[in-house]
Formats: sequence, structure tokens, C-alpha cells
Amino acid sequence: MELLRLDNVTKKFGGLVAVNKVSFTVEKGEAIGIVGPNGSGKTTLYNLINGVYAPDEGRIYFDGKDITNLPTHARAPLGMARTFQIPRPFGGATTRENVAVGAMFGYAKASVDEALEIADEYLRMVGIYDKRDVEAAKLTPLEKRLMEVARALAMKPKLLLLDEVMAGMNPSDIDKLIELLKRVKEEEDISIVSMVEHLMHAITKFAERVIVMHQGEKLLEGPTMEVLNHPKVIEIYLGKKVVEDAEG
Amino acid sequence: MSFFDKYASLIPVLLIYVVLFAIGILVPGMWQPVAFIMFYITLGQAFNIFLGLTGYVDFGYVAFLALGAYGMAIAVESLGGANLGFGIILIGLVLAIVMASILSLAVGAVALRLRGAYFAIATIGVNEGFRYFVEGARIWGGSEGIIISGAMRNIFGRETANFISTFVSDILVFIIAILAAIVTVLIMNRKMGYALMAVREDEDAAKVMGINVTKYKVMAFIASASFAGLIGASAWTLKMTYVFPSDVFLITYTVEAIVIVMLGGAGTLMGPVVGGLIYGILKYYLSITLPGFQLIILAPLLVVIVIAFPEGVVGALKRKARGNARKYLR
Amino acid sequence: MPFFEQLAGNLVYGAILGSVYGLSTMGLSLIFGVLRIVNVGHGPFIMLGAFTAFWMFTLFGIAPVISISVALVLGLALGFVVFFAVIKRLINAPELSTLLATFAIGIFLEEVAKFIWGPDHRGYSWDIGSIDLSITLIPYSKILAFISSIVIAYLLYMWFQKTKLGAAVRAVVEDSEGAAACGINVGRIYALSFAIGIGLTVASGVLVTLFVPVGINPYMGHEYTLKAFVIAVLGGLASPWGAFYAGFIFGLIENGSYTLLGTIPGVEPFSLTRFVAFSLLLVILLIKPTGLLGGESK
Repeated sequence: MELLRLDNVTKKFGGLVAVNKVSFTVEKGEAIGIVGPNGSGKTTLYNLINGVYAPDEGRIYFDGKDITNLPTHARAPLGMARTFQIPRPFGGATTRENVAVGAMFGYAKASVDEALEIADEYLRMVGIYDKRDVEAAKLTPLEKRLMEVARALAMKPKLLLLDEVMAGMNPSDIDKLIELLKRVKEEEDISIVSMVEHLMHAITKFAERVIVMHQGEKLLEGPTMEVLNHPKVIEIYLGKKVVEDAEG
Repeated sequence: MSFFDKYASLIPVLLIYVVLFAIGILVPGMWQPVAFIMFYITLGQAFNIFLGLTGYVDFGYVAFLALGAYGMAIAVESLGGANLGFGIILIGLVLAIVMASILSLAVGAVALRLRGAYFAIATIGVNEGFRYFVEGARIWGGSEGIIISGAMRNIFGRETANFISTFVSDILVFIIAILAAIVTVLIMNRKMGYALMAVREDEDAAKVMGINVTKYKVMAFIASASFAGLIGASAWTLKMTYVFPSDVFLITYTVEAIVIVMLGGAGTLMGPVVGGLIYGILKYYLSITLPGFQLIILAPLLVVIVIAFPEGVVGALKRKARGNARKYLR
Repeated sequence: MPFFEQLAGNLVYGAILGSVYGLSTMGLSLIFGVLRIVNVGHGPFIMLGAFTAFWMFTLFGIAPVISISVALVLGLALGFVVFFAVIKRLINAPELSTLLATFAIGIFLEEVAKFIWGPDHRGYSWDIGSIDLSITLIPYSKILAFISSIVIAYLLYMWFQKTKLGAAVRAVVEDSEGAAACGINVGRIYALSFAIGIGLTVASGVLVTLFVPVGINPYMGHEYTLKAFVIAVLGGLASPWGAFYAGFIFGLIENGSYTLLGTIPGVEPFSLTRFVAFSLLLVILLIKPTGLLGGESK
């Protein structure tokens, strides 16, 4: 079953084409990776799916609905959640309140009391339950990322968009997070799109399919290992063999 | 959270109101200063619902106060002969809310789509623009305003009219303060409170979380404006028995409301109470010792607050509070 | 056709006044463009310029065109003082802080002015004759104001385009992080731009006095704050040149609508014209609801 579909989506900023005629689909319950160097249009792609920008051309469908012109705030309640490349906690509120906001206004549409319980549940899951009464601004960068994952999961999304969520984590934290994501993906039947610039080995452990973005265009799409070993991919990463990263 | 935990923060606020009321009633000569201080607490409570909870500043806030003042004056003036007794005050209060909320809906629906600075720019226009509209189009008495002291005497008789202006109007302010505090806590405890917190902290992220930011901002704006309307109707029209555009559109009230909220702690329930107390007491004695100097003292004070302790008194205390104390301090 | 003659006359007057409006808004736009701060206390700086012109003229008999330079120097000095005392500490603070602080500074200036000079309306008349345009009489003093505005705006433009420092300011407007990476001392550019912005604003206050015969008083700034906002938004808020051109447009709209509103019986056209300015502000904001910050939040 198809959950998200982009049809020839284009976004320009002035004369610059940030995303050029990109099409792809995400199936229900699927985990895919989007890789590409900085400036390849990945974040713009997320902002288009999210509704932060409206595309200049093309259409976007989510769960069978045309959401191309739907305002940003109307998308999360349909079952969309995301994390940010640079975490954006509601700094003055506690960690628990941050996560509860996700549960209240996301697909979960929980009441305040329910949301606070859901928040506790996901804070335990990502392992920062002991920080629940700490102001989110005072969390460490790693904790902020985990809080964002908890906040996104508390929305009970159908589609989870992760933006460089593993950047700056050490290998054991990455393994733990991947374990967690795999588990919720199975248990709650979530589709996960994860965007990475460098951490290819994390993607190989996790994504079933990979899309490679380059200069605003979709360069390649296919099974993870196959795509990452493709000569074109190696070329755009400056001749560095990508999967060596993955294995070493 | 238990019911008690959610509403515990109302206890100290209401306690302060009770103490103030008792002082005013029991200590001879204290009713007037208490009412004076209470006016500022109430103004702060009302403005806090918008400035404090959303983090947006409305430089034209006094326009809602003015509109409420006009609402009461129009009710008294036009229905004076209808023999409604105290019903006319009720109608005046309702009209005040209706007029203030209509203007706030109109302004909010346009301006609250705009971000901080642009919103601020738009609101500066609202107050001046509306005042010039009243004067320019010569509605509601134009620049001559409306005087209701005669109508009040005709409706209620000299003694009762006097009683309304010197006592009932103050009691109404007390009631408005209690209502504003309750509404603030209700908002905080609901999804709306969490939504506004998110708006205050990071509006773009809030949208991505699924929060209809414009809707919640407009709701807070209307609530805050309605309370301003009630204050204008009670503390201005009923007390002064006249409405002149040059008085009720005075920017000073906006400045005072901002100072009270920032001094006490924006977005906290207790903040406007503490800010109003400090400011009210300060102003009462300053106006006796240094009349006409309040703005020259207030303005630098506001700059100092913004630079040195933007969280305000209650904001700073709240940060330090641990465990149980926290639920009484919000 | 007396009405059309009157309209034509008022439009000429509007264009002349518009040049002063444009100049008086350039400082606001410059400060916003460089520091991303809206100076909510903009008008009171114009008031200071007006008082400068008034006292220079009444005490020393110095003509307003000469007072411009005095006001400019005073404004620059005041701009540096305000910047280092207040603004510098709020560069990274939330927007709310700078809005409140500049608002308070404006109020403070008004109150100090009232304390020193009293609340009365004052004026002076600098009569150097008029030119007859057959539809209307234009005093030479106003024509000098018109020329002065254009000269100052042009000098500022040349400074921006031809000097190294001007180029640095432009770079900061484009991208302050990028400018810092190129070795530009952004903090110094902030201070300088703020001071120039205030200097221009105070200087424009001198020219304003040539249009308000008895309107010099501590609270005269309010009106100009509102007008400057309309003009700045009209001109793109972050662009001093946009503001200058928008000033002309605003002058024409204001004086045109004054003439038209004067034909409606039973209203006060003077107050209603101000209402028109405010409505215009809301309409512009409505047409461009993202504001002018919108669309660049990448």
C-alpha cells in the first residue's frame, strides 16, 4: 500500500532550482533512506512534504489524499511527523511537555492527560525519562535529538521523517536508536524516511531502499547495497567508496 | 496531573485578592489605594493572556480598553430611558465585550498571520487609526466624546450613581481579575496552553507539530481583548462617567500593561499579580510625590527589565522553585 | 474646475512632502535591514530633530537647511549611545525584547523632551518667499526641503555604492554570517548602521518642521512612527531606497485622499487621512500576508 507519493515535484528559490522534478513513493511500513551531499535538495524535499514550502510544480499525495496545498499544521494530524536537522525543542518547556505536545497535536490527538502519559512512555523508550522535568533547552545535543525522536513517535505517525537524526552520535548510540526504530516500525507499522549526508553504514543497517539526491534531482533509487555501490554514487562522493564506510 | 495540581496555582493568586479586598474594606481610607492597585493587577492579568501566553506584543492594546469604555457609554446613553435599572450595566458590559472582541477578531485575523515585528507594526496602526476614525468620522461624539454622568443620575438617582462610580466599578474590577486568572489557568491546562507555549518558543516547529498557530493566537487575542473591554467599561466609563478619545486611547495604558507583565514575568499566572502590586504601589506613591513622572521612570525601567531580567520576578522564582512549590507558582 | 486645481496643487505638495517622508523612513529601513530590529520608537527621534531645528532657528537664527548637519551629528552621537547602552545587549535576544526596548526608548525621549521643553505646541516660520505654480503657491523653504532630502538620499546611496565601509554594510544586509566569514567586523557595522539610521531620522526631523507650522511638540513623533511604518512596509522594509521612493508614493496618496475626503460633508478630513494611512498599512500587510520576512526562512 502506498503511503506517500511525490509526482514531478519542483521547487525553485529565485533562479535556483532546489528540487527538480522529483518523483518517488513510500510504501506503508517501509524504511527508506535518502542520501546526498549537502545542498542536494534533501531538506527542501522534507520541507515540501511537510508543507513548509509549496511546490512550484508537481503534486504530493499522502495516504490517498492530495496534500499539495494543505497548510503545514494540517499535515501532522494526518499522520506525519519529523525531526529537524538542528533540533528545535520548545526550550522553555520541560522535556515531558515537549513530547506531550507531539501527542496532542499529531495523529494521536491525545487529550492533555493522555498526552502526558504517552510522553512518559516514549521518554522511557528513548532512554531520557530521568530528564523529563528538565527544561528542554538544557538538554545535551544528543538528548535533544532523542527528545525529538520521542516527540515525533508520540504523534503516532504513519510516516516518520528523520533528518540527520544520527549525526554526532557515537556508534553504540546509533545502534541503540536503530534497534528502537526497527522495533517501533514493526510494532506500530510506521513508514520511516531517514535522510543522511555521511552516515552510510547506519543506512545500510536500517533502510530497505535508498534514494540518492544530487543537485536537486533524484539520481538513483533502489535496494540499499546495490545503490550505494553504484559508480555514480561513488563519483558524487568524491570518488570515495561509500560502502567502505559502511563496512569499516 | 490531578485536578488539585492543575489548579493549585490559583490559590496564592486568589489569596492575594482576598487579602487586598480585606484591607480595602477593613482599613479606613484604604479602599481607594487598593482599587488603584487592583486596576493594574487586572490590566496585567488581561494583557498577559495575549503577550504572556503568545509572546507577541500588541502596541495598540489600549484600543480594546477604549472600545469597552465606549460600549458601556453607548449602552448607558442610548438605553438610559428604558428603565432597566442595574440591567443596563450588564448590557453595557456585554456590549463592551462584543465591541472589543469584534475589533480583535478583525485585527487578529489580518495581523496575527504576521510574525512578531510585522504584527507589532500593524498594531501600532490599530490604536492610532481607530482613534482617528472615531474623531474623523465624528462617531460616538467625535473628539468631544460621551459624558454619561447625567444619564447615570437619571437612571439611578444621585446617591446610587455615586455609589456605582466609587464602589461598584471597583468591585467589578475585582471580579474581572478573578475571571481573568481563572481563564488564564484554564487556557494553560488545556491543549491551547500547550499550543501557545509552542508558538512562543518556536512557531515554525509548532506548525510542523500540527498546531494551527493562527487559530490559537487569535483565540488568545480575543480573550485578552475582551477582558480589556470589560476593564474599560468598568474602570473607565463607570468610574469616570465620561469617555474622551484623547484619554481612553492614551498609549500610557499599553506601556503600563507591558511593564506590569514583563516585571512580574510574562506567561506566568502569578506574574501580573506581582507586577501589578509592585507597579501599583510604586505609582500610587510616585503620583503623590512626583506627579506626572511615571513614564519617565517607567520607560528606563522597562529597558532594564528587558536587558537584565527578561523572565521577570515570578519567572526567575519559578526557575528556582523545586517540587511542590512549583505547582503553586505558574 | 477648482476641485481639480486643488487636487493638482495638493499632489505637487504631496510629492514635496513625500521626499521628506522618504528621508524620514530611510533610517528605519536601514536599521531593520542591517540589524533586523524594528525601531518602534522611531518617531521620537524625528521629534528631536524638529526641536533641534526650532531652537537653532529661534535662538541663533540659523536656517533649517544648515541645522540639518547639526541634527545629523547629534543623531549619530545619540545613535551610538543608544546602541552601546541598549541595542548591543539585545542583538541575540528574542524579537520581543528589541521591540519593547526601542518602544521604551521612544517613550523616554518624549518624556525627557516634555520635561525640558514642556508639552506645548511650538512653531517658527522661515519665510524666504514662494514660487507661483499658478495652481498653487510653493514656498521656497519647502522646495529647499525637497532638494535637501534628495541630496542626502543620494549622498547616502553614493556612500553605500562607492566606499569600502558602504560595501561592508551591504554585505551584512545580504548575509551577516557570510560577511563575518569574510572578515567584516559585524559588530562595528551594526553600531555604525544604527547610528547612521538614527542620524538620518533626526536630520529628517529638521525638514519636517518646514511642513508643520505649529506642530513641534514632544509627542509629534507618534504620527511619524505610524507613517514611517506604512512607508517602510510599502518600500520593502529592509531597503532604504525602497523607503525613499515609497515616501513619494505615500505623500501623493496622503494628500490626494485629503483632498477627496474634504469633499465629504460632516467629517474631519485631517483625522480621516490618518485613518487612511492606517488602513493602507493593514491592506498592504493583508496583500502580502507573509510580511516581508516571509519566503526567506530557509
